Amino acid sequence: MTKKGDMLYAWTSDAEIQKKAELGGAVTAIWKYALESKAVDAVFAVTKGVDLYDAVPVLIRDPKDLAKTAGSLHCGTLLMAKLVKKFLDGANNMKIGVTVKGCDAMAFLELAKRKQINLDNIVMIGVNCGGSVSPVVARKMIKEKYDVDPEKVHKEEIDKGQFIIEYEGGHKGISVDELEEAGFGRRSNCRRCKMKIPRQADLACGNWGVIGPKAGKATFVEVCSEKGAKLVDGAIKSGVLATEAANPKGLEIRGKVEGAMFKLGDKWRKHDFEALGEGKERLKKIMSETARCIKCYQCIDVCPICYCVDCTTRNPAYVPPGELPVNFMFHLIRYAHIADSCVNCGQCEEVCAAEIPNALFMHAQQQELEKMFGHVPGTTMELPLMAYVEEKEERLRLHNTGSDMIYENVFKPVPKK
Amino acid sequence: MEDIKSELKYTATTCPYCGVGCGLNLVSKGNTLLGVEPYKRSPINEGKLCPKGATCWESVQKPGRLTKPLIKKGDKFEEASWDEALDLIIKNFTEISKKNGPKALGFQTSCRTVNEDCYALQKWARVAFQTNNVDNCARICHGPSVAGLSLSFGSGAATNPFEDVLNSDLIVMWGSNAVEAHPLAGRRIMQAKKAGIPIVVVDPRLSPTARLADKWIRFNPSTHIALANSMMYWIIKEGLEDKEFIKERTKGFEDLKKTVENYADAEKIHGVPLETVKEFARQYANAKNAVIIYCLGITELTTGTDNVRSMGNLSLLTGNIGRPGVGVNPLRGQNNVQGACDMGAYPNVFSGYQAVAVPDNRAKMEKAWFMKEGSLPDWYGSTLTEQINDCGEVVKAMYVLGLNPVVSYPDSNHVKKMFDKLDFLVMQDIYWNESCQYADVVLPGTCFAEKDGTFTSGERRVNRVRKAVDGPGESKYDWEIIGMLGKKMGLKGFDWKTAQDVWDDMRSVTPGQFGVTYDKIEKPEAIHWPCPTIEHPGTPILHVGKFAAADGKGTMFGIEYRPPAEVADAEYPYTLMTGRCIFHYHTRTQTDRCAALHYDVPENYVQINTLDAKELGIRQHEKIKVTSRRGESIAIARVTEEVAPKVLYMPMHFANGANNLTNTALDPMSKMPELKHCAVKVEKITEA
Repeated sequence: MTKKGDMLYAWTSDAEIQKKAELGGAVTAIWKYALESKAVDAVFAVTKGVDLYDAVPVLIRDPKDLAKTAGSLHCGTLLMAKLVKKFLDGANNMKIGVTVKGCDAMAFLELAKRKQINLDNIVMIGVNCGGSVSPVVARKMIKEKYDVDPEKVHKEEIDKGQFIIEYEGGHKGISVDELEEAGFGRRSNCRRCKMKIPRQADLACGNWGVIGPKAGKATFVEVCSEKGAKLVDGAIKSGVLATEAANPKGLEIRGKVEGAMFKLGDKWRKHDFEALGEGKERLKKIMSETARCIKCYQCIDVCPICYCVDCTTRNPAYVPPGELPVNFMFHLIRYAHIADSCVNCGQCEEVCAAEIPNALFMHAQQQELEKMFGHVPGTTMELPLMAYVEEKEERLRLHNTGSDMIYENVFKPVPKK
Repeated sequence: MEDIKSELKYTATTCPYCGVGCGLNLVSKGNTLLGVEPYKRSPINEGKLCPKGATCWESVQKPGRLTKPLIKKGDKFEEASWDEALDLIIKNFTEISKKNGPKALGFQTSCRTVNEDCYALQKWARVAFQTNNVDNCARICHGPSVAGLSLSFGSGAATNPFEDVLNSDLIVMWGSNAVEAHPLAGRRIMQAKKAGIPIVVVDPRLSPTARLADKWIRFNPSTHIALANSMMYWIIKEGLEDKEFIKERTKGFEDLKKTVENYADAEKIHGVPLETVKEFARQYANAKNAVIIYCLGITELTTGTDNVRSMGNLSLLTGNIGRPGVGVNPLRGQNNVQGACDMGAYPNVFSGYQAVAVPDNRAKMEKAWFMKEGSLPDWYGSTLTEQINDCGEVVKAMYVLGLNPVVSYPDSNHVKKMFDKLDFLVMQDIYWNESCQYADVVLPGTCFAEKDGTFTSGERRVNRVRKAVDGPGESKYDWEIIGMLGKKMGLKGFDWKTAQDVWDDMRSVTPGQFGVTYDKIEKPEAIHWPCPTIEHPGTPILHVGKFAAADGKGTMFGIEYRPPAEVADAEYPYTLMTGRCIFHYHTRTQTDRCAALHYDVPENYVQINTLDAKELGIRQHEKIKVTSRRGESIAIARVTEEVAPKVLYMPMHFANGANNLTNTALDPMSKMPELKHCAVKVEKITEA
């Protein structure tokens, strides 16, 4: 019997999956079992769009389609949790299996805290993530740094600190450090990220720590929940998955890889946050950068913390409507409402048409708040202040009571009838 | 993409609004649109969008869409079958053309709709009725660019791609508020600023784009030629012109030199201090690579074509054309304003700018279109605005595809009056708009989310438009409607089954785009025309080594400054400028149906200087009346320093707004009306 806390090597015993699978195909095998056993109604996965630089989410019910989803697309920078909230009813009406990166897992937790996703209906298989590269940057990087036509590349991976491409006529790897020195490489939020093994998921999978005869042929699986344990057991029983206990040496190596990634993350945090300066200097920087804002509302739209229908940025008393440049209050509202829970997923920065380093600003503030209050977003279901009330319910309460005190029910709970 | 049965569908397509051509994903489930998600794979915008692009899906499936053909019976519109509606159109158009000749018909197509629709409409007009009275609404935005740049360089299109500004050493934005009007081209300017590339913005108004500038030059509205001439005087005077470039690649220098002699100091015309002019002239001439980006501030004037040629003059004089980081780039207003012109929806050219006056071109088209030899007309057709002015007298019937003339054309009251004089008017659109009530037949077309096709952006990039959902009710693809009309008339060559069929029909007669196949534009890098062969990679930068003109030379022109047709006087003491705001698109048919956009700008407004407001006793956000010789408009006053004293700015988007006031006086060369400049007076509205 598998149980929470188990460290396993897993690989598929399904002949069909084996043909296409990477690293033992354990993840695909588990999803196949989950769909066939109705543990989930659908799997929300990612496939290649127009090419390997284009990650497109797909909702799959037919296990046969699983083989057509992509392994890892390092140029895919989707945030799956917000898509589940926006387009799949927050998983309220179906059980959904999702393969998640660290930021996805954190985002699922934050949206669940705010009652925007029903976590009971979500099964997460986490995958280790060393960071991702925006597609257009990746293509430019391959052309300029690798001197390879990006159209000719058929595979990419990040391994042992290198971004490696395979193309017609060869393969080439360049260290991520070198790429990032040259202004390419991972998104800046990914560089600062320290959620490398998403243990919030039901299973945390990856290739770090797979050594010995199973190297390259199995997936490292850390069982992170009872739900995850059940899934593994079921998959073994149904004959699609085989496991063995992870090599203790491998476990150690996995820890070392994670530790090295943390160090790198810390280095980038220091680098990025120090460049922001402190106090008034930092405020000045933030004000001058955000002055370019064109009010597209996309930072709000993609944010895994934001969900309000009546967003405060649309309160004319705070932000005069229809004006550019946008009143700085627009950004202050975002900081006030989000910073305690920012998971540094980077979406707000990636979609910003005005080149504002939104994620950097928010993440920097989150770090300050974490230092002050000790609240760590995206890791547990512990509620931050802003998540104590759900917008619609709270607005209704304010409307009915005539109060404008948002928190009085938190500190002075309204007695139930 | 992998063949997966996914309930949630992403359709990568092109934004339907401005000429930047941003990529985006439409998200749908079954036949229901759910939203827009970033298309980060697009090299144009990398997933980033403006407020309009991000909400473009919202208007598609809102109530109010046209779902059935409508025929006017008495005062009322009644639903009709397609056969009935199309037969009625054919009957009227045929009869009128027989009785009054081909000049009695007018055809107008939108720059918002796909290339395939534009090609289809002009083909039908020319094949069925042997008329060149076919035009598109580029006439009232970038007609002067087509005319002016053709004269200067031999091609009427932008010379360099948007992203190429990052290769510049100096960016000049002249009469362009890209941050609001072309936000994702504006983003390139923001990137350039971050990279330390100096930016000069020449604009009478402190626009959001001017706020980005290292140097903002405020000048008097519509005095471009005087300012450019003065710059060129000093460039020549100080010997900063590119002598080798002038000698090798241009003609007309002497003419230019002579003309600018009189502009050593033109401050009293343009209002810019002489020292600033000199400094700017030196900066532009000395920059290793300098690019000029301009927009409707240049074109929408009675001097539009000359203003454009003045931009051409500057670049030719200093050799700033024909390589990365330089050029003269009009930011095209609408998503397909480049394409509508490319498709030959133009009164003097077939697709690819093949002149109708050239007998060989006509002979080629007659053969390709199964027409009798000698049947295509050689005359210069009537333009969009001339067609309106000729309603009743010359033009008896008109076919309008995707336009709302009574709001978007100058002098709305005039347009309404002229429409009343028509014997027969067809409107083909997606929504019932303000112009439909003047129609005899209204046909339901489909919008960008409901059809395949292509938009050609302002950088000559042919971007794919892909169908995500079906159109509502009995609506049809717009090219399909035209195809039905052609087939019903027994014409050959209208039997298109798909948008690609129409595109391939166009390619077969258009040398400059023959190589732009659907296959080659499957990926979002797409292709910049010219692209003459299947193997050709396309042409991001024009005029490298040789100009597109017949003699291969760029031409400089000596151009004298002329004041606008109507200037402020004692009775109408204010100058009214018009333009866009970021939250709306044109007449708001689509954008006002998006909750977020409506929230931000629900009503017409006018910017007025603090001093003027004080003098008139006007408070911030008070409603005021603005009156011109042609009409009046009520607007919310935005009291600001962004406009100079005695200058007002009103967005163009509102019915009974700016175009109640604007002037219909035309640029003699391009027939562009003077939408950017007229004289008005301002009054407080006294409480009843």
